Amino acid sequence: MKFNTVIIGGGLAGLTAGISLQKAGCSTAIISTGQNALHFFSGTLESMEDAPQRVTDLFAEAGIALHYTPGVRLMPMGTFKKAALSLEDISLFPETKIGQKALIVSFTGYHDFFCSFLAEGLEKQGVQCRIKLLNLPELEQLEKSPSEMRSVQIARTMDRIWETVVREIRILLRDEDTVILPQVFGLRDTSVLSRIRQGIPAQVVFTGTLPPSVPGIRTQILLKRRYELLGGTYLMGDEATGAHVYDGAVHSIVTHNLGNHFLEADNFILSTGAFFSKGLKSNPFEISEPVFGLDVEQAGDRSDWYNPEFMREQPYMKYGVATDSSLHALKGGEPIKNLYAIGSILGETRPELGTGGGLAIRSALAAADEILKNTKE
Amino acid sequence: MSNQEYDVIIIGGGITGAGTMRDCAMRGLKTLLIERSDIATGATGRNHGLLHSGARYAVNDPESAEECIKENMILRRIASHCVDETDGLFITLPEDDLAYQQTFVEACRKAGISAEVIDPELAKRLEPSVNPDITGAVRVPDGSVDPFRLCAANMLDGKLHGGQVRLHTTVTGFIKESDTIRGVHTRNLVTGEERDFYAPVTVNAGGIWGHDIAEMAGVHVGMYPAKGALLVFAHRVNNMVINRCRKPSNADILVPGDTVCIIGTTSTRIPFEECDNVSVTPDEVNLLITEGAKMTPSLSSTRILRAYAGVRPLVSADDDPSGRNISRGIVCLDHEERDGLKGFITITGGKLMTYRLMAEIATDAICRKLAVDKQCQTAETPLPGSEESSYEAVARKIWEKPSMAQKAAAARMGTRASRIRTRDTLDEALICECEEVSVGEVINAIERLDASTLTDLRRRTRIGMGTCQGEFCACRAAGLLAKSHGCIEKEREDLKEFLQERWKGNFPIGWGDTLREAEYTQWVYKHVLGL
Repeated sequence: MKFNTVIIGGGLAGLTAGISLQKAGCSTAIISTGQNALHFFSGTLESMEDAPQRVTDLFAEAGIALHYTPGVRLMPMGTFKKAALSLEDISLFPETKIGQKALIVSFTGYHDFFCSFLAEGLEKQGVQCRIKLLNLPELEQLEKSPSEMRSVQIARTMDRIWETVVREIRILLRDEDTVILPQVFGLRDTSVLSRIRQGIPAQVVFTGTLPPSVPGIRTQILLKRRYELLGGTYLMGDEATGAHVYDGAVHSIVTHNLGNHFLEADNFILSTGAFFSKGLKSNPFEISEPVFGLDVEQAGDRSDWYNPEFMREQPYMKYGVATDSSLHALKGGEPIKNLYAIGSILGETRPELGTGGGLAIRSALAAADEILKNTKE
Repeated sequence: MSNQEYDVIIIGGGITGAGTMRDCAMRGLKTLLIERSDIATGATGRNHGLLHSGARYAVNDPESAEECIKENMILRRIASHCVDETDGLFITLPEDDLAYQQTFVEACRKAGISAEVIDPELAKRLEPSVNPDITGAVRVPDGSVDPFRLCAANMLDGKLHGGQVRLHTTVTGFIKESDTIRGVHTRNLVTGEERDFYAPVTVNAGGIWGHDIAEMAGVHVGMYPAKGALLVFAHRVNNMVINRCRKPSNADILVPGDTVCIIGTTSTRIPFEECDNVSVTPDEVNLLITEGAKMTPSLSSTRILRAYAGVRPLVSADDDPSGRNISRGIVCLDHEERDGLKGFITITGGKLMTYRLMAEIATDAICRKLAVDKQCQTAETPLPGSEESSYEAVARKIWEKPSMAQKAAAARMGTRASRIRTRDTLDEALICECEEVSVGEVINAIERLDASTLTDLRRRTRIGMGTCQGEFCACRAAGLLAKSHGCIEKEREDLKEFLQERWKGNFPIGWGDTLREAEYTQWVYKHVLGL
């Protein structure tokens, strides 16, 4: 079977490109290892300082409500960060004093949500805080296993019992105008978020937990569902292991599961992510791209890859696959004419496209547009 | 003498100070130990964790070899929960001279070390990770020892015998009356509190920093800081200690310990100013990997977890300003006899293996000064936690059906694991999944083992030592620490320091999976958690 486009990598960038192409009538396939950066998505699309209609529509059609309210958001460690285009989970405020009094609610035995850090951070902004831990019999089964009290497992239970939590909070609530909750709600049903907000007589601020990110996993589920409804082929649990490149163009790619059945297409998109997602590989001497052996912009000497200060900007995070102005990936200095690199595999080689989620979306749309333009021609 | 508070003050919370504290307290002395940082922060926690059989020293330093094998046998008895009786191999590679094996075996036997020449084929069966091209192998009673655990257990026993420990407290000066040290001025580095303590005897057990402590007291101890770099691998590749059967050299010992294995070491003289902040260079990393892979080829494809370095407190013999006559043996200086300074003793040199003997020698000297006539009992009395020999027996005794995590805790704490709170299932929740450390064990370390920072917790529980290098467990544990001391701002800084300390050991080997993990951690803490 031959596709118009084969996309390697099923994260935010790959799915955005896939949805755009399917909508325009192109047949596509996505190869996904199953894990991607959406699993630790903060809920804010980094570096999206605007809200293009095209992006909000694309998400809305997938059942994901993005809202654009430039301001600050509360971070899990009790700090504040500027944010704009975000998932509906994320509350954005004009200033860091987000209320007069806040009730911070978590669950007994849950260590991945940092109530005391949040309380300290909020009190610094003049918000009085009270912490309450809910003791829910429905979570007992999770508590019994030493490693089950984690965000996604709790979220699965919350999908069933969120109404109980709302009732408990109504009882606990005194004169607080704000309720802070961990992001463990609405894993499979986003309407839960607004129903919780309606059910509690105070503003509800869903705040991040340790990964995996529940809003991120939900986003992945919904985008994938949308992609498949549009007729896209999502090959889950597979991985590209090599490629056939002739005369400056990719002919087909080899995957782990399909073996000798090569995937052929007119166009290929590489959205395999940076280091953690294995889009970029490193050894003591160099950083490389494993599927095509593309050019990677990097400093020559390993000692230049790092800043010894952990919290400073790290040079290695800026490295990425080299591309031309239309995002064609370069190999040996020459562009491969039907291969586009998008998302975090670009590192910060294309600063005009932003970073994080913003980079994923902008580069995905740009590559899709380029493919559509060429397909029409 | 009316205002004396203690019989003896020990400066230094490494294994020598901790061992001396235990010995003094067991002999009935009122003992205070002062440590400017945490337990085992110097050379004690920055070595292989090798339970030397003494074989390595047999040819060149028979005296050290004899001390090692004696202490080796003692530690198996008194510190069973800190010791892993793995045995060791001394292998000959094709590039090594097989004739050395004969010299080596004879020297071992002379020192009382059992050294059995075995067929290389048998060696490969016993230790499948070993280079298949070996031409010779000798089996010796090497093992591994967890220095953090050993240090904590000595201090704990010192406390059980009435001794006191002040961590994060620095000595700012000596209280001196003409030719006598009467006590110390101190400052608590966390609270800023300044206090004086008095004792007729003060012991300098400061390792390489003992040089500066002696200077502060007005005497000179000629120390030579020798840096040794090591690499920790993410898997326990070998089950026996693997050594090269040749003259001791760089990177020729691979020691299995807990879930990891450690290759080392190098030896480089460094200036005193660098002792507080030693780092591992790319050349050292390359040397350790290349040499290590000769003994155990799979090391070249095994993930490296971190790189670290320690500074050996070597001492040049007196009247040898050139430092040529450097001994790795035990040095106990009574400064009254040597320099005319009363009430001051320096105990240094030696090695992790011989800490108990060093402590015995120092305590004998202290007792002579105080005219106390008590015998040392540290060689016969098990350390707290080591009353049982097998951790599985310990776990079964405490918990009817021990979980994996409880077995891991029993292996770390021995019989002291019975002190872990297991009031309900919540205490059994895991804080660190890599090393299986529970809420209860973390709380125990905070309450009973004087842990006040995340790095303190790491030394006592192995939190953050596993493959994720503290990605998740750090902030989970930070939550528990914050609850215990109540200062969130401090805990946020502590978390940053912990991550910085982990990064320091990660970036020198920052490629492959280590770089993947680092990217994830850096992204999560900055962008997702907002630290």
